[in-house]
Amino acid sequence: MTTVSADLEYLRRAEAGKFDWGWLRDTKSEWGVKAQPGKVGLTMRDIAVGSYGEVPDHPSLRTMAPRGSDVDPDVPDMGYTINTKAEVWSDNLLDLYEEAVSRQWSATRDIPWGELPELDPDLEHAMCQLCTVLSEVEMVASDFPAKWLWRINHDFVEAKMFLCTQAMDEARHTEVFRKRALANGGGLGKSKSVIERFLKLILDAQSYDEGSALMHILGEGIVLSLFRAGELLAPSPVEKRIFRLCMQDEARHVAYGTMHLRYRLERDPSMAEDFHAYLDAGEEIIGMLFTTPEVVEPVTLLAAGSMKAAEELALGGADMLRGRVIEEYLQRCDHAGLPRRGRLKLPAELLVGVDDGEGKVA
Amino acid sequence: MNSAWFEAMEADARNRPEVYRVLGFADLRLVVEETDGDAVRCFGLVLDGYDVEFAGELDDVDAFRPDATVTGPREAWDEMAANIVANGGADGTHTLNAMSIAELPLRVWSADPVGRDKFFRYAETLQVLFDSLAGAAITA
Repeated sequence: MTTVSADLEYLRRAEAGKFDWGWLRDTKSEWGVKAQPGKVGLTMRDIAVGSYGEVPDHPSLRTMAPRGSDVDPDVPDMGYTINTKAEVWSDNLLDLYEEAVSRQWSATRDIPWGELPELDPDLEHAMCQLCTVLSEVEMVASDFPAKWLWRINHDFVEAKMFLCTQAMDEARHTEVFRKRALANGGGLGKSKSVIERFLKLILDAQSYDEGSALMHILGEGIVLSLFRAGELLAPSPVEKRIFRLCMQDEARHVAYGTMHLRYRLERDPSMAEDFHAYLDAGEEIIGMLFTTPEVVEPVTLLAAGSMKAAEELALGGADMLRGRVIEEYLQRCDHAGLPRRGRLKLPAELLVGVDDGEGKVA
Repeated sequence: MNSAWFEAMEADARNRPEVYRVLGFADLRLVVEETDGDAVRCFGLVLDGYDVEFAGELDDVDAFRPDATVTGPREAWDEMAANIVANGGADGTHTLNAMSIAELPLRVWSADPVGRDKFFRYAETLQVLFDSLAGAAITA
């Protein structure tokens, strides 16, 4: 028989109904706190009251004990490696979590799959290729937070909760684009090593700082612009709804990334050079993406409507999209306190029209 | 563009709460700006929770403290409204996003990119609101 550590004496007393209630009111946590629900219900911000709303910059414990609870002195150390609030926090975190929960949608129920029209085969190929790329890239934004979640101190539980919503959002994006590729007689297209290399850069990041900068600011910023373009180029209202719903989720992740970087740099400006170095290494993806036929040509074909029209459009659509990607990315970096204008290392041909800090590149 | 557009949007959110509740709550102060030569008219749209808390013409845009502004010429807004009414909702090239992604004819801007990105965070809610103009049979 296995011997387990159990207080058998307590069991005998409890069986006789002899409870010691002393501990019940002797808890060393804040009593008398009453959170008031707001107009949409009881939110995380509503319950951030009293000592329960105080998030320590450097928690003294590394346990799963709920922040603010009365913790046993002999709790085990969970081995968290992210124990500084600024490593994961942002000022909009609580609201973004609530928004994420409120704005969830279902790729099964909320997309009118039955209304997908039959497309010209070239357009169907293009849509399927775009869906292949998006289904591929979206899962890294589930994998990355999942990789780091267990390392984050439980006192930053709101950050962990938000990252859980992101993992769910991105799983749904992977799902919806896979479903679209398979829903109209097309199927999956090509997976390119150039894209995989960028995903590996995110997944292999040596720190949450590095991975978050690459993913939340750079990668998801690019994908947000791709979703916006997808909504414009969508050949039917079905894809249009897919892209609009995905756009909402992605913008939420970018909002976290931007405000998190700002929070991080405000508390430790000396880290700016580290973040510059991460992005120096990552920004190459912009150049690679916009010179990869399997990305550029589906977008161009969908924009033009036919191969012949696409040849006349040439890079008109992709150039516009690249310009938006770069400008919006640079604006987010500026806002986060990490000005990148003039530091962006892309071939001059890809920077035409971009404000590099000394005016628009001709 | 006129105040009737915004009254219609506010009424739609009030009359179809089940639609907006499913879309989820929002937190946005948006200026919708119409230019007509030198003339500029600004309307405000405040999304708070599941509600449209304010929708109407603004006298003082700065006091409104917008998260973002979507601006464009009167002809573009009129074309959007006509398209929405004709199709029962914006067609592929007349959604808010489609008309603003190239910054022509509409442009979304803000000094704060997180504020600007709210335009995308609530894209579906905003589109449902604008599409409600079809039910109100409102054009220019």
